Order: sequence, then structure tokens, then C-alpha cells
Amino acid sequence: MAVWILIMLALPLAAAAGGVFIGDRPAMGWLSLAAAAGSFACALVVVFAYDAVRGRHALGSAFFLDALSGVFLIAVAFVYAVVAVYSAGYLLPGIGHIQLRRWYWPLLNLFGLALLATPVLANLGVLWVAVELTTVVSALLVTSEGSDESLEAGWKYIVIGSAGLAVGLLGIVLIYAAGIPSLGDHYTPTYPTLAHAAPNLNASLVRTGFALALVGFGTKVGLVPMHAWLPDAHSEGPSPVSAMLSGALLAAALYAVLRIGAITQRTVGPSYVHVLLLVFGGLSLLLAALFTLRQTNYKRLLAYSSIEHMGIVSLGIGIGGPIAAYGAFFHVIVHAAGKTLAFFGAGGLLSRYDTRDADDVRGVIRLAPFTGAMVLLGALAITGVPPFGIFRSELLIVTGGFLHSKYALAGLLVVFANVAFVGVYQVFHRMVISPGEPVAGDRTRIDRPEQPLMAIAMVVSLTVVLVLGLWIPSPLNRLLHGATTVIGGRV
Amino acid sequence: MPTAPHYDFVHATAALIAILALLSGLSLLLVKQVHEQVRVYAVLSAFAAGYTLLVGIDRVDAALIVLAVWTALIKVIVIPISVDRAVTRQVSEHEVPLVVQVPMSLLIGVTLTGLSYWSASALPIQGALLPAPALGMPLSLVLIGFFFMITRQNVISQIVGLLTLENGVFLATVAIAPGLPFAIGFLLLLDLLPAVVFYGVFARLIAVRAKTTSIEDMAVLRG
Repeated sequence: MAVWILIMLALPLAAAAGGVFIGDRPAMGWLSLAAAAGSFACALVVVFAYDAVRGRHALGSAFFLDALSGVFLIAVAFVYAVVAVYSAGYLLPGIGHIQLRRWYWPLLNLFGLALLATPVLANLGVLWVAVELTTVVSALLVTSEGSDESLEAGWKYIVIGSAGLAVGLLGIVLIYAAGIPSLGDHYTPTYPTLAHAAPNLNASLVRTGFALALVGFGTKVGLVPMHAWLPDAHSEGPSPVSAMLSGALLAAALYAVLRIGAITQRTVGPSYVHVLLLVFGGLSLLLAALFTLRQTNYKRLLAYSSIEHMGIVSLGIGIGGPIAAYGAFFHVIVHAAGKTLAFFGAGGLLSRYDTRDADDVRGVIRLAPFTGAMVLLGALAITGVPPFGIFRSELLIVTGGFLHSKYALAGLLVVFANVAFVGVYQVFHRMVISPGEPVAGDRTRIDRPEQPLMAIAMVVSLTVVLVLGLWIPSPLNRLLHGATTVIGGRV
Repeated sequence: MPTAPHYDFVHATAALIAILALLSGLSLLLVKQVHEQVRVYAVLSAFAAGYTLLVGIDRVDAALIVLAVWTALIKVIVIPISVDRAVTRQVSEHEVPLVVQVPMSLLIGVTLTGLSYWSASALPIQGALLPAPALGMPLSLVLIGFFFMITRQNVISQIVGLLTLENGVFLATVAIAPGLPFAIGFLLLLDLLPAVVFYGVFARLIAVRAKTTSIEDMAVLRG
């Protein structure tokens, strides 16, 4: 297994290094695409061929893979792969508006590397380093359109994200300190070591450590009220970068929270972890759903939708029990597919209309039927309309809530998921289907054929989010069940 | 059991360094000049390195001693010089406008320190050489760093605030988890370098574009 993990990590690293020599040439796109696709294939092998559910070490105690890692690894590897495909088209002349072209691919591949490493690293300290690396690399990617707004967004992101992660590190240090009496002064803080010793850890230190880790890594997840960077970074970054941030980065940061939460619940019981996740998750769902009602910037709207979905995942695990937790983990995967589709569609709009203002976009379905259809299907997918996978995951969480008599929480999810549906769908419906002229008058619209690579990426994301709504393959089903035994499965 | 005179001297020195580190953190709130802020950060980092060295010597831990030397090299010399060179020479103004004036800043800083000691006293934790509560001083620096970042509308000041906060976390690590494997400590420190390079790139981009390191005008994105 170690060999596959090493190949999975070496491919993006090699592609990033290649970018330094190849520079801004089409070959760089193909190289990155091959690296990302190869990494995704390796991730599938690592998770399914080696049966991640059983929990395995690799390369001594450097890597650790269990069902929880498997779920998040599949999600981030998928997003990295489709984003690479989409980017190869988006970077062609006359499509995207990327200024820092020379550095786009090296940074994207380094971003992919850090994201892929996060779920497989056994050591909590090194895991923190990987998450920190995602911040510094992706912040520059956010600015790659070169506008004043993107610079502002990138700066807010790097400052708030880094400050949050410093708090997260303090949380890890406290958990390390909690283990000193039972594990000695010089132990290596790997997850299996801490999980095994969890019943003997100092409870008050672990509680404080988890709270700090939740606030710290929660800043990167975009949980309210630490979310201030997210709408700016998602809306001002290039669309493929926004897709990577939303579908993979938020998930990777959430993985860190849940990994530490899994140790915490073994020490102090699940209710403490669940309550904190419910508070932050509920607040995120509620506020983000309300904010979707007042957005006219369609990329910013998708950003608030991401906060809402991270709130839903946290809520699902916070509700607890095998069904709600299963739904929450399934949500991580379908959200990754649905949100990449939505951001890819938004990128298609931006490249044709050169505006983020929804009021300036009308009649997409007539100008570009394929992009219009994808944008609308993306909006339907992320708002949980059947038969898309997000409907299924949300239904599972609500069912879990009702089965465990958590009616208020299930009700909260039903109400605010529908509020978000209204907020998101009305804007996308107006842009794609509604007749009439843009509010700002007749703007420049670029009428050109669909870019094939961008179209392929959208179709792949659409297929995944649609098929998973109808059928969950049995290896994935087993993986999701396995993840509920790590965290969230108990009430 | 160590002999009493040596033990007392080491503890007294550690307590003195902790007090000086805390005072450097608080003095950051008094300084308006960007260059001075960077220098205060360097002084604070020197105390962090000194404390790490003391703990390393006391525990006869070569890894901590090496970490102390690296800390001194990176945080006292490399980072302050790079930050200073990267941006402050690009712009004409060097005084940071304050959202909260100095007396009030200091009052809030002292309050945050009290709050940190009070919260830290609730945690059952023994610090390496430091008087209880061991986390009081590091936590104070974390909160002061946060407060400094929020109330200084300047790119360099925000970097200094962030690095002060990071120094607080570093001191907490040395104080309560001095046995944290060297590889991790080294990696965390090494991770600071690219982070600072990226902060520097950002700061330079902002300075070159706007001819200022003030971020007062960075308020386009709202809602």
C-alpha cells in the first residue's frame, strides 16, 4: 500500500516540478492532467484494493488509512482530477482570465499534493503542516486573475486561515500534552497511538484541545462564525480553483476536525463532540442559507452554498447514529461532485459574460445550451433536488435525526436546505431560463463552441452526482459504513 | 531530583524570560512605526529561542537545543530582515494608523493577559520550568497577536500580529510538550518559511499595486 500512496503523492509533486521547467505551455496542462488522473487511480487502489475499512499503517507509522481517511481521500482525489481536466481547457487563450499563468499549474499541483496527503498522514503534527501548506498555496491561486478584488480576497484568506490554523495547532499540542502521563514524554502523536490511549488521556485537556482544533480547522472548513474569508476567496478565485477550494479543501479541513474528534470521543464520550459539531454546523447552515437569499454575485452564492453544505455535514455527524453519520459522509462525496459541477458551470458563464453579477446574465440556454444546462443541473444538484446524490444524503441525515428523536435538528435541516434551494435556484433560473435582457443592458457575450475538456469535466461531475443519487456501489457503501464506526456512529 | 541551587536558578531564569516575552508582546501594542513592530517581533522571538534553549539545557535534550538555534536563526534574523526588506522600503509611509488608540490597546492587552492566565489556571498542566499556570504567557501572546492583527490596518502589522500569535503557539509547544518529536518541531518551524515567503509575496503585491501597505482601502468585498 505504501508504494501506491507514494506514487499518489509523487505524481502531483513531479507535475509541479515539471511546471518550473515547462512553463506556460499546453504540455503542462496535459502533464498535470495525467498526474491528477494517476493520483485518483492510486487513491482508488489504496482505498478499495487494500480495504481501507480495516485500518492500516503504511511506511512504518508515516501513513494511516481507515474508512474515515478513505472517504475524504476519494473526495479530494476526485476533485483534483476533474479540476485538472477543466483547467486544461480553462487556461486556453480567450477562455479563462488567469494572469499568473506561469505559476497556475505548479501551484495547483502542490495544492493537490497537500490535499491528497492530508487524509493519509498518521501524525497529527504533520497533518497540520499539510493543511497549512494548502493555505499558502491556494491563497496565491485565488489571486491568479490578478484583479484588486482577488488580491483582497487572497490576503483575507491567508491571514484568517493562518490565524485559524495556529489555533488548531494549539489544540493538537494540548492533545499531545494530554497523552504525556500515559504515553511518556517523547511519543509520536499518530492517530492510532492516541486513539488506543484515548481512555487514559486527560479529559479536560482533550476537551479544550478539541474545541481549539474545531475553531482552528473550522476556520478552513468555513464554519460560521469563522467563515469571513470563504465567500471572498471562492468568488474571486478562478472557477476551477473555487471548485477545488469548495469540493476538496473544505473537506480536507473537516477531516482534520473529525480525526481529532474521533480521539476526543474515545476519551470523553461522543456527546461533547456531537454538541460542538451541532452548534457550529447548525449555525453555519442557518446563516449561510439566509445569506443565499441576498446574493446577486453567482459565485459568491455558490460560496455560501459551500458553507451551508459543510454545516449539513457537521450537523449530520453531530446528530449521530449510523444513518445520519452515513448520510454525512456520503454528503462529503456528493457535495464534492455537485459543487465542482456548479463552479465549472459558473466558470463557463464567466468566460462568456465576463461578469459575476447575476443581474447581467440572461438567456444562457439560448446562447450556450450546453453550459446553460450544466449550470442549471449543477444548481439543482447542490440544492438537493432528487434524483441527485445530495438529495439522498440529506434525506439520510434527516431520517437519522427522526429515528433518534432529534426532531428539531432534522426540522432545521429540512427548513434551511429549502431556504438555500430558493436562494440558489432562483438566481440560476433567472440567468439560464428567464427571457428578457440583462439589467445593465446588452453586455458583451462571447458566442463560441463549448471547450471539450471543460465539457468533459462537467459531464463527469454530473454523472457522479447523478449516479450516486440512484445507486451506491457496494465498496463505497462498505466504506461509508466503516467511517461511521470511526466517528458519528454512536448517539 | 536536581540540586536546589541549579534548579532555582534555571526556574528563575525561565520565569524572567517568560515575563520579558510577555512584556515584549504587550509593548508591540505601544508601537506605531512598522519597522519598530518588526524589531519588537525579533526581540520576542529571541526570548522564545532563549526559553527553548534553557529547556533544552535543563532536560539535556539536543533536539531542543538545535530547535532553539534554528528558531533564533529563522525568527530573529531571517524573517525580520526579509519582512523588512520585502515591503517597507517600497512605501513612503511607515506609521500605522490605529483603529484602537495606544492607551486603550494596552488596557485591552493587559485584560487579555489576565484572561489568559485565568483560563490557563483551569487546565491541569505542568509546564517545563515555567511557574503555574504554564500556558498563561503563551496564551496571552496568542490573544495579543490576534488583537494586534485586528486593530492594525496594515499588511506588515498583520504579518507581525500573525507571527506573534505563532510565537505564542510555539512557546506553548515548548512549555507543555517539550518532548514533541524533533522532526515535528523542525517541520513546523520549516513550514513557517514558505508561509512567510507567501505573506511577503502578498504584501509586496499589495504594496507595489497600491503604493501603500495600508489595507484600509481593502473593503470592496462585502456581504
